[in-house]
Amino acid sequence: MGTDAFEITVNFVKMVLIFLMMVQIVPLLVWVERRGSAYIQNRFGPNRVGPLGLMQLLADAVKFLTKEEFVPGRGYPFIYYAAPVVAMIPATLALNALPLSIPIHVEAFQMMGSSWGPYIFKFQGYDFGIGIVFVLGVSSLAAYALLLAGYGSNNKYSMYGALRASAQTISYELAMGLSIVGVILLFNTFSFSEIITQQAGPLSFGFMGRNVEIGWLPNWGIFYQPLGALILFAALFAEANRLPFDLPEAEGELVAGYHTEYSGFKFNMFFIGEYGHMLVASILMVIFFFGGYTLYPWLTPETVAAWFTGFSPTQASLLTALVLHVVMMTKVVFFLWIFIWVRWTLPRLRYDQLMDLGWRTMLPWALFNTVATAIIVLIARTGGVN
Amino acid sequence: MLWEAIGFYSLALFLLFFAFKTITVPNPIHAALYLVLTMIGVAAVFFHLGAEFIAGVQMIVYAGAVMVLFVMVLMLFDLRAEIRSFSRGLFSGALKVMSAAMLAGLALGAANSSVAILEAPAAPLGGGDITRQLGIMLYTKYLYAFEILGILLLVVAVGVVSVSRIKGGTHARH
Repeated sequence: MGTDAFEITVNFVKMVLIFLMMVQIVPLLVWVERRGSAYIQNRFGPNRVGPLGLMQLLADAVKFLTKEEFVPGRGYPFIYYAAPVVAMIPATLALNALPLSIPIHVEAFQMMGSSWGPYIFKFQGYDFGIGIVFVLGVSSLAAYALLLAGYGSNNKYSMYGALRASAQTISYELAMGLSIVGVILLFNTFSFSEIITQQAGPLSFGFMGRNVEIGWLPNWGIFYQPLGALILFAALFAEANRLPFDLPEAEGELVAGYHTEYSGFKFNMFFIGEYGHMLVASILMVIFFFGGYTLYPWLTPETVAAWFTGFSPTQASLLTALVLHVVMMTKVVFFLWIFIWVRWTLPRLRYDQLMDLGWRTMLPWALFNTVATAIIVLIARTGGVN
Repeated sequence: MLWEAIGFYSLALFLLFFAFKTITVPNPIHAALYLVLTMIGVAAVFFHLGAEFIAGVQMIVYAGAVMVLFVMVLMLFDLRAEIRSFSRGLFSGALKVMSAAMLAGLALGAANSSVAILEAPAAPLGGGDITRQLGIMLYTKYLYAFEILGILLLVVAVGVVSVSRIKGGTHARH
């Protein structure tokens, strides 16, 4: 938490801000989804309310808040009410554990008649040494929101959606975890910040006792783990229940799947959870394979810090962190757009196709990737001896 | 220290409550959901003890994968018949007595060995190195047990696949 009142307050505000960031990105993503789908399908999309149709989101929010609340008579009210809340927890916890920029160093300063010692604030809610395991563990709880919604509603379609969701989550979690094992082996750490730090330089690696360096390429994970990146991205689609893996809510078959009985703000909370998962998934892709908040030749912590030499150390640190945060969010927005792009391009998979893809295609390839990475990393680190 | 004690005892109270509910709730799905909460609580206890990696793995494997499977399978069963077959009869009565005896034995054993836990460990482990030490232990000292467990799970997986192929299903042999 912190050692004094200032540090504790800042750390608390930080967590709330990150949560608000997740909630606030939802209306923007909904807008991008509508306008983007319209663009892809050669339509206009919502463009009447306000400039570019942006006020449509405000109208939607009012609609969500004023809709009739409804509880199915024969369901389980407690579980029915708990499910939307549970839907938001995993994404929030995972997002708070992800570093969004470099730590901010605050020098000692005077405030309210007393001096406040130097601080280091991390640009994330909390930092455990084992960030990757924590995020995987928390996001594996995401299936419960869907299960609880399906069970609590006491509705056949909701139940089908919940059962499909749990089967899908279990099938794709294995491939997801295994594809991340390759990354952990490669960077030899469980910490997100360390993974990003290792990707900040030019592409260089030691192989059989020689050092290979390619100066014009960044040291990104995608160049070492292309197969792992592909499998992880596909599995993250399944974890976020996005098309082509949106069988839990397949509206052509199951009315609306697990959230058939939900209306108003409870429905909106499921939506926030889903978009939160998309956000976490995009950030994970950026951290593991695309350099996180660094962009090697131009924007690394060193080069950006050199821009702000005229400022005081605290200001320079803050500005550097903000610039690098913008760099990271630009990459993240690109991946969010890919999520939306894929949704309006690919059709939904059939159920047996979904299971075959998970168990017979992605799992063997992820296993192969893990074993191959382990052998190559061992040879590269020990030079073939041992 | 005081706050840590408050955190631990409230966590322990919640855990005991969830575990108690798991075995007393009549509805199997509710029992499974309470078991999920218990698993998450156990992960929190591991975290509290400084074993972050074990806590994460507990979340991924037990709270995440195993319990999702449990809840899903329970939803597919005809629960009324299951409840009836397990709520009366000599056999299930004997099972109940045996479970009670096992629970009492566990509680006694835990009470007996809890004195030893209060003593300071011989060599306190470093925070980030626990995962590395765990890996080294698994692959040196406990390698045999680890590999035997792996083979056991493989046998179970092969058995399940063969049984499901014999009894029919989507991938049945015709």
